[in-house]
Amino acid sequence: MGHIQLKNVCKSFGSTEVLKDIDLDIQDGELLILIGPSGCGKSTLMNLIAGLEDITSGQIVVAGSDVSDKSPKDRDIAMVFQSYALYPTMNVARNISFGLEMRKVPKDEQDETVNKVAELLQIDHLLDRKPGQLSGGQRQRVAMGRALARSPKAFLFDEPLSNLDAKLRVEMRTEIKKLHQRLGTTIVYVTHDQVEAMTLANRIAVLKDGIIQQLGTPYEIYNDPANHFVADFMGSPGMNFVECIVFEDKLVIHSGSQNYQLSVPCSDAINRSGLDSVLLGIRPEMLTDLKPHENNPYIHEVIFDVEVIEPMGGDTIAIGKWNDTEVQARLSPESGEIADKGFKLQVDTSKAIVFDPLTGQRVR
Amino acid sequence: MNINKIFHINLGRTLIYLVLISFAIIYLAPLYVMFSTSLKDIEEIRSGNLLALPNDPTLYAWGKAWSSACTGSECNGLAPFFWNSVKIVFPAVIISTIVGAFNGYVLSKWKFKGSELLFGALLFGCFIPFQVILLPMAILLSKLGLSNTVSGLVLVHVIYGVAFTTLFFRNYYVGIPTELVRAARLDGAGFIDIFRHIFLPLSTPIIVVTLIWQFTQIWNDFLFGVVYSGSGTQPITVALNNLVNTSIGGKEYNVDMAAAIIAALPTLIVYVFAGKYFVRGLTAGAVKG
Ligand SMILES: Nc1ncnc2c1ncn2[C@@H]1O[C@H](COP(=O)(O)OP(=O)(O)OP(=O)(O)O)[C@@H](O)[C@H]1O
Ligand SMILES: [Mg+2]
Repeated sequence: MGHIQLKNVCKSFGSTEVLKDIDLDIQDGELLILIGPSGCGKSTLMNLIAGLEDITSGQIVVAGSDVSDKSPKDRDIAMVFQSYALYPTMNVARNISFGLEMRKVPKDEQDETVNKVAELLQIDHLLDRKPGQLSGGQRQRVAMGRALARSPKAFLFDEPLSNLDAKLRVEMRTEIKKLHQRLGTTIVYVTHDQVEAMTLANRIAVLKDGIIQQLGTPYEIYNDPANHFVADFMGSPGMNFVECIVFEDKLVIHSGSQNYQLSVPCSDAINRSGLDSVLLGIRPEMLTDLKPHENNPYIHEVIFDVEVIEPMGGDTIAIGKWNDTEVQARLSPESGEIADKGFKLQVDTSKAIVFDPLTGQRVR
Repeated sequence: MNINKIFHINLGRTLIYLVLISFAIIYLAPLYVMFSTSLKDIEEIRSGNLLALPNDPTLYAWGKAWSSACTGSECNGLAPFFWNSVKIVFPAVIISTIVGAFNGYVLSKWKFKGSELLFGALLFGCFIPFQVILLPMAILLSKLGLSNTVSGLVLVHVIYGVAFTTLFFRNYYVGIPTELVRAARLDGAGFIDIFRHIFLPLSTPIIVVTLIWQFTQIWNDFLFGVVYSGSGTQPITVALNNLVNTSIGGKEYNVDMAAAIIAALPTLIVYVFAGKYFVRGLTAGAVKG
């Protein structure tokens, strides 16, 4: 029903190409997250799917029929805008029912839908208010209610939570996830926030400069990023990147006035590539306190000169240097308290990945 | 010290009030003279003081100005011309406001190739002096067969007014978030639906501003009135001029004054009753989502 296919979709404004050859197959009932830096074309892509902008070339297919030339109202897709875009002169009930009114749904059916949606979103006590008399979170709910009322084939959410404060954001995030599980409708969801992306997504598409860098499950995107950009973009605190000399099949790092040779899983690929130096990518949570472990070739003990610590509550980020590049380690709060020069760090390279330092592509 | 402070503030306030009151007097003095003169009889005007209140107020001058004063060769007072003005002003104001609202809506929210250029050209219309278009407009009117008619004058005022009304509405609508249009389009609303259900209910302040502006402009117009009207279709401003310039026997200042007030009365009333909306509308900002 809500199966959306984008085939070689391109979009230019005048001579600026904003989206380049986008191919996306969004399954029925899927929650697809679109993430990428500001100006990469996320909103533009949403507008194309909704029909608010015309595609320059390519094809958009919704539920098996080509809608590329159809107007927004014939595509049966609802959108929640970042600014909510509630109709300021209409009360909440009419905001929700306006789409039904325009589609000539009988009045009693409209009322029924409004009540059902309002109950679902717990806004039934607000139905007579104007948008100006609502809090940010309530407006957000009304905006979702307006989209829900029509039971469309798919929902588009363009940064729906970015105007809310941190706590409300987490609450609404959970609610959207529940709602999606309950309704099972296709959702395309734009966000800047990679925690939002990781928690909500069935799949994530990472976009940069109008090109999809990688499309995959949150696990794939996080653990097996296609290139340096994706690896850098996802994760907070971000992945550590250190340029290392290749020695035989190991990578050499200099830490705490000593040299270490780290084994990495992709050593064969490194040898095959013939590179003298590579960019090592390793997430902060792989740099930890010493822990008991089995005899594992990927576990190393490294002396680390901690320069700065940033307690985050649950754990503490310790910052020092490898090969003169800043590196973040994730320590327990207790070790964080005592971390200093010469701290003994356990480095687990079993998930470490390696990039070509020039192209930023994975070596594998 | 406290006392000093209070004293200081009071001194400042007093000064401000003094200045304001003296300016109010300067602006209101002519109106007062007109009004008191219109209530005097001609003997009193000849002998008396310009600023004095009338000894024996009479409505004679008002009656004459309205129904029997001579405006050129006819002596029917201002009444017929007052109604001419009404017949010109109402359609012209309403049509130019409606056209301006639609223009503004399109130029701000349904931009098309060249719409900015069109808006620029329309804006240019605001700055064209009346005199420049007198002759071409006269030719146009005669080609349309509308010379010397009320409809012709309505047309002229609509054409000239649309530049202003478009500017007003366009600038107001630019402040309304375009996402409202997008949301409504997804909700299945069309061009007219969106205007009717979303923009029109938001437009009260700017409609009031436009109505007042157009009303005063068109009611007070003299040049178009004198050029494009025939003997039976002159607006009140032209008739007032004729009345003042026609003197049979001595000059009747009281009648002139009464006539001038009658001619100015509608705009005065509009300002008194709707002036606060005018100020509010001019300063009304964008709409909060
Ligand atoms: N109507 C337009 N005309 C010209 N350029 C446009 C237009 N709309 C968007 N762009 C350009 O297209 C690019 C992508 O814009 P878009 O709004 O899709 O970015 P985004 O990924 O949604 O960014 P953000 O995260 O800041 O919302 C930007 O460089 C923008 O300047
Ligand atoms: Mg955007």
